[in-house]
Amino acid sequence: MSTAAVPRPPAPGAGRLLLNGIFAENPVFRLALSLCPAVAVTTTVMNGLILGVAVLVVQVLSSVSVALVRRSIHPRVRIPVYTIIIAVWVSCIDMVLAAFFPALYAQVGLYVKLIVAFAIIISRLELFASKQPLVPTFFDGLGMGLGFLFALVVIGAFRELLGGGAIAGHALLPHKPLLFFILPAGGFFSIALLMAFFNLVERRLSGGAARRPGGGGGAHG
Amino acid sequence: MNRPTAAPAPRGEGRPLGEILRIAGSVTLYCALGGAILGATYVATNRYQEVARAASEHRSIAQLLRLGPDASVVEIRQYLDPARDQVVYRAAPRGAETGTELTFALSGQLLGRARAGLRGGEAEEGLKPLGRIFVAMQGDSTAGFVIEGETRGYKNVVRFFVALDAAFDILGVRVIEHEEDPGLGAEIATPWFQGQYFGRTAEGASTLDVTKDPMPEDWRAALLELQRLPPAQWRSRYGGLLERESVQPVYAVTGATISSRALTMGVRSTVNRFRYRWSLVSPLLGEKP
Repeated sequence: MSTAAVPRPPAPGAGRLLLNGIFAENPVFRLALSLCPAVAVTTTVMNGLILGVAVLVVQVLSSVSVALVRRSIHPRVRIPVYTIIIAVWVSCIDMVLAAFFPALYAQVGLYVKLIVAFAIIISRLELFASKQPLVPTFFDGLGMGLGFLFALVVIGAFRELLGGGAIAGHALLPHKPLLFFILPAGGFFSIALLMAFFNLVERRLSGGAARRPGGGGGAHG
Repeated sequence: MNRPTAAPAPRGEGRPLGEILRIAGSVTLYCALGGAILGATYVATNRYQEVARAASEHRSIAQLLRLGPDASVVEIRQYLDPARDQVVYRAAPRGAETGTELTFALSGQLLGRARAGLRGGEAEEGLKPLGRIFVAMQGDSTAGFVIEGETRGYKNVVRFFVALDAAFDILGVRVIEHEEDPGLGAEIATPWFQGQYFGRTAEGASTLDVTKDPMPEDWRAALLELQRLPPAQWRSRYGGLLERESVQPVYAVTGATISSRALTMGVRSTVNRFRYRWSLVSPLLGEKP
């Protein structure tokens, strides 16, 4: 991962940035970032939705914070400073959830604190927010957050339906078809299947032309 | 603030002192800013978090004692005053601002009685909380008690509620807060483990112990039913098993004897202490100061 301060070309428009985060560089299905938490929380749609919203808010707040103060962050300590910024916003979200949504918090509270270590957030700070002005950064953060939220909800729906025979707690099937998908290993299989599905759709849409998957953060793991 | 042009600093010993100070200064500044944001959020949300916690506690109490909507709950807070070697009880109906304060010497001798507020600030007075007691009243009679207890688990403090009926027999135990390992110690918070305390008499509770013997299968099946059936129906179906098992020690969670023992000993000492304290406090609470 290079840290060179190469001057970037001007950022694309807001709509492009939003779609980029949701489809072309979807954090889970394209960049394959933060897969562990994505597997851990997506046993139901509801859990995926709550954590996705929490990540969205933290991503936007952290990106905007970094874009605002990027000129005063010394390059040698930028990673610790990013971590402080993310940790502050995660703790705020944690407190707000605990105060206003205690029932939801009881279910996902454990995972909310883990957002501090989500690779997707710090990678957007390093790759985008630290180099671009406020407005494009806001839309990049929003797009990435929405992309992550979208991925968590889709994976959650897939696993809850196949593993539990329900969607958002409403039983649709009389039995539990494939309990395997609720288990952690089933989570990775779900992501793999959905990723393959999105690759297929994309290839169809682009007329069969082989496309290099969007890069930009794979090195962060 | 330093300029972004400071980037390619020389390696090793050639780094100027000024740059080190700038780095230290800016990181300190960010930490201070972050601290201020966290503090402000805490101040803004803490009140609501307390309200939410109190509501969830009240739900737990109502479920444990199976209270009707017309039941009233008196909350008694117990404190140790280490500076004066006194034990202080403050009692008030739920939601009331002020209530009765009783002060005892450690020997159990009543020292004073007053009106006192129940709204925080105990730490400033140098009082150390000893847990709370919730007394539920249905009409004029006591419907039961819920006592807050604490015990040292395998990893951290385990907080729990013990529910007793008016004769001090155990109606239920519920772990409220714990950090035990999922799949091992965390099993003490499951209905089947907590169900083992149900139906134990006051005498049985005062000598509770734990065994590493395996739990009989018929008893495990009965405990799993406990959360599904109303207690009276459960008793009529599994009364024989309850009679056999309620004099046995609690069966420890396999691989988590320390957590199992911690909760069991916590329940035992909480019930014992409560019986002593209630014998001191209860005759005095009804009277006007």
